[in-house]
Amino acid sequence: MTSATLDHYVLISALLFAIGFFGVLLRRNTLVVFMCLELMLLASTLALVAFSRFNGTMDGNVFVFFILTVAAAEVAVGLAIIVALFRKRQTIQLNELNSLKN
Amino acid sequence: MTLEAVKLAAEANQWGAIFPELLLACLALALLALEIVLPKKLHAYIPDVALAGLVGTLGGLLVNFHSASLGKESFNGLLLHSPGGQVMRVFFLLTAMLVCILARVSLAKQKVPRIEFYHLVLIITGAMMLLAQSNHFVMFFVALETVTIGFYILVAYFRTKTASLEAGLKYLVMGALSSGMLLFGIVLLYGVAGNPTLPGHSASAMHYPALAQFLVANPHNFLAGVGIVLVLVGVAFKIGAFPFQIWVPDVYQGAPTPVTAFLAVGSKAAGFAVLLVLTRDVFASYDWLVTPALTAMAAATILFGNIAALTQHNVKRLIGLSGVSHAGFLLLGVVALSGPVASVSATGAIYFYLFAYLIASFAVFGVMAHIAGVDDSEQTLDHYAGLAKENPFLATILAIGLGSLAGIPPLAGFMGKFFIFMAAFEGGARWTLVLAVVGVVISIYYYFGWIKAAFFEQWTPPADTADPRPARTPVNVVSGIALGCLALASIFIGFYQGPLGQWLTMK
Repeated sequence: MTSATLDHYVLISALLFAIGFFGVLLRRNTLVVFMCLELMLLASTLALVAFSRFNGTMDGNVFVFFILTVAAAEVAVGLAIIVALFRKRQTIQLNELNSLKN
Repeated sequence: MTLEAVKLAAEANQWGAIFPELLLACLALALLALEIVLPKKLHAYIPDVALAGLVGTLGGLLVNFHSASLGKESFNGLLLHSPGGQVMRVFFLLTAMLVCILARVSLAKQKVPRIEFYHLVLIITGAMMLLAQSNHFVMFFVALETVTIGFYILVAYFRTKTASLEAGLKYLVMGALSSGMLLFGIVLLYGVAGNPTLPGHSASAMHYPALAQFLVANPHNFLAGVGIVLVLVGVAFKIGAFPFQIWVPDVYQGAPTPVTAFLAVGSKAAGFAVLLVLTRDVFASYDWLVTPALTAMAAATILFGNIAALTQHNVKRLIGLSGVSHAGFLLLGVVALSGPVASVSATGAIYFYLFAYLIASFAVFGVMAHIAGVDDSEQTLDHYAGLAKENPFLATILAIGLGSLAGIPPLAGFMGKFFIFMAAFEGGARWTLVLAVVGVVISIYYYFGWIKAAFFEQWTPPADTADPRPARTPVNVVSGIALGCLALASIFIGFYQGPLGQWLTMK
């Protein structure tokens, strides 16, 4: 049994990133889209920690804390908007939110 | 870490160098405190405090423009204080002042909390100023996210209106998507540039100079290339360049008018300030990748923005799509800078264009804020019919602002386009230049459609129903003076760029 190398971590994080990216583009439920957005950020976090560990530099680990904080702020604002919108429109399906048209 | 190291690190924190940003942050908090402390009848003066604070900060910044910290790094390399950074600081402070003036007009028509709006504008402005001076990817990301998250709230600020909330959600999803891609790009660059087996690797790989050094040593690294592309895509989302402009029309339409102005001018300028630093200083050795990508993007952006704006009837969508084409012109300046024959005048040309765009855009947005009714997202060209007769002042401001945006000589916008085209010619982007000229010709059509609506069209109200158009807001003293100054500045800078031109192109 070989231990995981940097390539494994980068591969996993690229995979997570791809899942998040296509999830955002393809899913229609706002909450699922939100989870996919978080997945993208977490993919970056995983890669960052792995790089930090294998390159022997600490910046990456510190950056992770900033990313987590940013992600939390983003979710707080995002959920507030979703709740306000749901009260107004009774739906959070992206394809039904189409009042902005020329 | 020993105590000595902590001491050394603390000495690098020159708080004096970011005094304007600190002032804005304190002012933003003071506004919230004032709202608690002051009796309700005095709340109307709190926006004046914000405006006065901005004017004071701008004055102080201009007095200290050639400060001792110029050209130096502070906070252990997180920030680099450059002349370009100073110019952008002035730019963002001016933007914030004008946004506050517009907000007084627009917020008065809505039942929403007032003070938080100014608070957020100040916070975002401070973050933009830091963003323009960032010299490290951590600083860059945190400042950018502060700006972006602030904008999510501002776009959805009219929370009783479906349009505003929808625009907020759209901006949030697209903004977070672009931030995610940008972040992954940063992480890849960090990972590659810190790899001990590669030449030129660095222990602090997110520091711009270290990263630039690594990229020079490894000019054809695949992962670094992917990282650069992802970072550029993230920035392209923020400036609304084709093909990442899909959010622009909807978000611009749904956002409150002052926020639309803030997005169109401030957010775009912040994107370009960052792009300028990245392409010129950091990614310079990857110009084989960056220049073709940006050239194609500039050409597509100019054409798409102008052609899509042709069919718009809602003025907010129209100005949004025309803003996309302006991003294309600015990208042309960036291309001139990063191309094989770097144009010496391109940096100055971009700054000049940004200022001309600021002045002209806010004149137009100022008029829009006065014409808009309670439904802020529904502003069509019909609402402008007969404006010249009812309110000649606003109609004149509108004509000057739109003329400058269209690039009619002798207004400032014309000189801006002229400088950019000269720089692009020097930089050798010939065929993009031809497309840009075609774009200018197309843009004149829709800008003049708008002017025509205000000056030559008569409004005949439907006989059986009430007038569906919103009542015009009377122009108050502050916004009247501001709009007059903007229009005069557009004319004046068009004729005479002397000191401003020198000041902006300073090395």
